[in-house]
This record gives sequence, C-alpha cells and structure tokens, in this order.
Amino acid sequence: MGEVSVIEEEEVRFEKPVVVEGLPDVGLVGTIAVSYLVDKLEFREIGYVESELFPPLMVIHDGELKSPVRIYGSDEGVLAILSEVAIPPAAVYPLTRALTDWFKERDVGFVVSITGLPAPNRLEIEEPEVVGVGNCEDAVTRLKEKGVELMLEGFIVGTYAVLLKECQKRGVPAVSLLAQCFPVYPDPGAAAAALRTLERMTGLEIELGELLERAEEIKLKARDLMRQTSTSLAEMQKNMEQDLPIMYR
Amino acid sequence: MLKKDIWAMWRHDGCLEPLYEMENRENEIVVTIDLPYVRKDDIKVYVTENMLEVSAEMRSAVSWERWGSIQRRITFSRFKKQIHLPEKVNPDEVSATFKNGVLRITLPKVRRHVPIKVE
Repeated sequence: MGEVSVIEEEEVRFEKPVVVEGLPDVGLVGTIAVSYLVDKLEFREIGYVESELFPPLMVIHDGELKSPVRIYGSDEGVLAILSEVAIPPAAVYPLTRALTDWFKERDVGFVVSITGLPAPNRLEIEEPEVVGVGNCEDAVTRLKEKGVELMLEGFIVGTYAVLLKECQKRGVPAVSLLAQCFPVYPDPGAAAAALRTLERMTGLEIELGELLERAEEIKLKARDLMRQTSTSLAEMQKNMEQDLPIMYR
Repeated sequence: MLKKDIWAMWRHDGCLEPLYEMENRENEIVVTIDLPYVRKDDIKVYVTENMLEVSAEMRSAVSWERWGSIQRRITFSRFKKQIHLPEKVNPDEVSATFKNGVLRITLPKVRRHVPIKVE
C-alpha cells in the first residue's frame, strides 16, 4: 500500500466534477461548512481515504465502522472531502498528492477548499469577510468574476495550501476560500460566510438558517476536534500566516 | 496557541472543560474562553494573583446517549476551568466581557513594564 490510498466504494462517474474540501484547520471552518453541506444536500458516502500516517482510529456512526477521512458525492456532480480527525503534519504532502492524483484520474474540473483566516479581532466582526486564493489564471478569474476579494500577499499554511500547489502541478484549477474566524474556537458563523461564497462559486443553493441556529451545539460537539487540530496546526507553523513575507517585487 | 492538554475535556461530574486562549501582552494578560450554551449571568470568575478560575452553568444540560467508550448516557451542565497565569496580576483591576458566547478577561499585571530613557 502507498502512503495514502483513495478508496472508491462507489465509482465516480461525473463529468468534470467539482470537489469541495473541508479538512480541519483554524476555526474548523471547512469541516463545519462541508459537513453541513453534505448533510443538508443529502450527499451519499462514496469512498474514503486511508493511510498509515493517520492516527490508528476508526469512527463508529450508528454502529457502522467508518474511516475518519471520507468522500461524499451528490447527484449534481459535486464531491466533498471531510475528516473527523486532525491531519497530522507528516500526512499533509502524501495526502494532498494522493487526492490530486485521484482528482486527475477522475477528470475533476474545479477544486474549492474551504478554510479559515485567523482574525485576532473576530469578536468585533459581525459578518466575516471571505477572501480567495487561486492556483492558476482560470481559478483567479473565477474568483474575480464572482466578486471574491483576492489575497494578494502573505503566507498560507496547512493542507489547503499544499493542495493548491499539487493541483497546480497537475493542471487542476483550484481555489481556497478563507473566511475570517476565531483561530482556536469552532466558528459556525465563519462557516456560513464561506458557504455563501461557495454558493456564488458553484451555483449550489444551501439554506443556512439551521447552521446558524445550531451554532452553539456545533461549537460544543466540535471542541475535541478543534483541540486536536490546534495542536497539529502549531506543528505546521500555522502562526506564520500572521507574518509578512520578506520578498518584494 | 491552545494549551496542549493530555486529559479528556470532560469529567464524570458533569463539567466540560472549555476551549481557551491566553495572550501574554506587555502590561496585561488577556484570556478568552469559548462558552457555548451559557448566559452572561451564569458565569463566575475568580482571580488570585496567579490563578484564574471560571465556572459557568449551561442554560440547559446537554446529553449524549452512549457516549464514547463508556457507552452510557452522559449529561453536561457546566463548564469549569482553572488557568495558572504566567505572571502575577492585580485581581482588583481585572475586567471581563461576554459577547457571542466568548468570555474575554483582561488581567493587568502587577509588575508593569516601565519605559527607561536611553542616554
């Protein structure tokens, strides 16, 4: 077995599918957003990702044994990638390589990563802003056309950053949507802001009322994953996202 | 960054340990604590020179059926956290606010930084 394997339990037959990735990161913005998307639009589980680099655990839901990193699909040709565990730093590169190889095999047309942008003043922000990063001209054009403000300078750190690069190497257009969020608290408000932007990017219609109504319950349930993720992100030097790059043009 | 705890974030006495963040600034320590399901009036904050204790009743108890490895119903009704402070603070000058489920406590330090003139 390679370091990371993508296992399809149901063959993917979509033409140029869109992938929405929500792996754990600051504020669990992507994880909360993508799990809500999967639940609300009734995606079905079509596969999973396995690796000896992941913690040696499985998840049990309704008595059924599941891998913590799973792939879902909808009839509209949207695939979603979710994880119920923090991605260990050592697994980031092998995971993103395996995923992007699979994207290429399945002729994925566009990848959207949803994540957070740590905002030290998040308490004062009522409506979190969402900025975008694209990995090619096509991706940047899509962001501009949908009115998403671009991140122009700075470091990006984490799985989504490497995923952008690996997609670029394989010619797969990809963007990351970063919503202002609490760095170390689960942030359903930021997830809602990111989903509004995802709606504009993909044409999906997502009713967000329940996400905001259940915000406190989500925060409570996501505490343990948030704690694991914060530890993992610290090892990835996530705090570098607050730094200024030295190069100037 | 979040403190790297090795114990579970819940206790058999019905208390949950909240997520928190501590920022050690020049003249003060700022602690924020995430407290979902909590009303402002149900928060209690105790401070000594080197320790902060927060407890907060949840507005309704939260139950999970067949919780994790213990496989039984478990109910939580309160958050509780003790935080050892990295420097001495003045308890009389501590202030706190609560907004959108996040408690923010500002603890002025006893030994403040004094600017020295460079000659």
